[in-house]
Amino acid sequence: MSFLARTFKPAAAFARVSRQAATRLYASEASAASSGKLVLNFALPHQIVLSSKEVNQVDLSAVSGDLGILADHVPTIEQLKPGVIDIIADSGAEKYFVSGGFAIMNPNSVLNINAIEAFKLEDIDAQAVASQLAESQRLAASAKDELTKEAAAIEIELYEAIQTALSTKAH
Amino acid sequence: MFARSAIATRSAAPALNVIGQTRNMATLKEIQNRLKSITNISKITASMKMIASTKVTRAQRAMKIARIYGNVSSDFIEQAEVKKADGAKELVVVVSSDKGLCSGIHSSLSRHTRKYLAKYPDAPIAIIGDKAKTQIQRVLSQNMTYSFNQIGSTIPAFDETSAIASVIISDKSIEFDNIKLVYNKFASAIAFETSEIECFPASQIVEAPGFKSYEVQEEILENLNEFLFANNLHWALVEGHAAEMAAKRTAMENATKNAGDIIQRLTLQYNRGRQTVITNELIEIITGASAL
Repeated sequence: MSFLARTFKPAAAFARVSRQAATRLYASEASAASSGKLVLNFALPHQIVLSSKEVNQVDLSAVSGDLGILADHVPTIEQLKPGVIDIIADSGAEKYFVSGGFAIMNPNSVLNINAIEAFKLEDIDAQAVASQLAESQRLAASAKDELTKEAAAIEIELYEAIQTALSTKAH
Repeated sequence: MFARSAIATRSAAPALNVIGQTRNMATLKEIQNRLKSITNISKITASMKMIASTKVTRAQRAMKIARIYGNVSSDFIEQAEVKKADGAKELVVVVSSDKGLCSGIHSSLSRHTRKYLAKYPDAPIAIIGDKAKTQIQRVLSQNMTYSFNQIGSTIPAFDETSAIASVIISDKSIEFDNIKLVYNKFASAIAFETSEIECFPASQIVEAPGFKSYEVQEEILENLNEFLFANNLHWALVEGHAAEMAAKRTAMENATKNAGDIIQRLTLQYNRGRQTVITNELIEIITGASAL
């Protein structure tokens, strides 16, 4: 089952990662009273994956690094890079591969995740990933203009991330 | 004498009757043609209504999702209480489409835009959809920056949204602080309201009272803001599409009903005319026969 061919092209505007020194703005105010549970909203433009779901922990793969969010985590805004989101609830754990987006942890213990595409790892076809990766690498090598080169680089990052995710899952 | 008078009456009466008949028959022919064309039109509007109905159900489903997606994205803006700065310059993005026959959808958008520009005549405008573009171009062509078309035949997908958003954001020559999305909100299956979604600049987000509680890396702020704008634009596009499909359905339903009324009226007129012609012919025959 390969959903990859057209759906996994991340919008170039959002996936540009700046690699200069990180300036972090730290929270200067403590958050409101603790509510105990982490409420998760996970939305895609064409599908609402999870709405107001109570979970225990969410592991994200962010541009600034991997992090795990528990209830009443410090409010934070993270840009997600292509990677796995691990949602651990009382009913069990679910892993989704996301193409990119933003995760915003709010002071009221609500975690909002907006992603462009998200699929469960088992729905991804490893063969299609390998062939698409080879295609992107070829494109990156042969590209003449900056825009195509950068777009191909983004695709390579995406496919390599999928491969890492699939291989770690297999263990 | 009888024969002569019979001929006399026979030739006189038919002559008059012929004119009368010709007049009636010409009218009858006309009525028949009108009936035929209006029946065709009502068949077309009825089928357009059917198509619009199926599109409405699908568009409404997509709209529910897009609304939640947009709300999840702007939840943070509300929680942090981001406000509009005094004297902020707005870029007005008008979300319409290329297709017509949807009653007041496009004119409502252009009226709203013109009212805003009467207060702020320098505001730049970007228009999505040809119908609003032709209306706004007539009065405000000097404010127009970009216009987009090929929108409106299908439910907008996020890649279309991000393409439009990229074009608007990457043109640094347009000066603006906030972006105002003017779109049609889906109030019900028979009603829509022209509303606005406000998109703030990163500088206003940083100044918001609630923002101090958030831990964030400074360089992703600009990315976050572009993402928020694209999410809001997607919401406006999908909801606008649903409102337009509903309006088209209502418009076609009214058109079919009106066509039906006209058909009834014309059929009655046609039948009366036909009966008059037959009655006249009968009179002619009877008078002719009685004269013999």
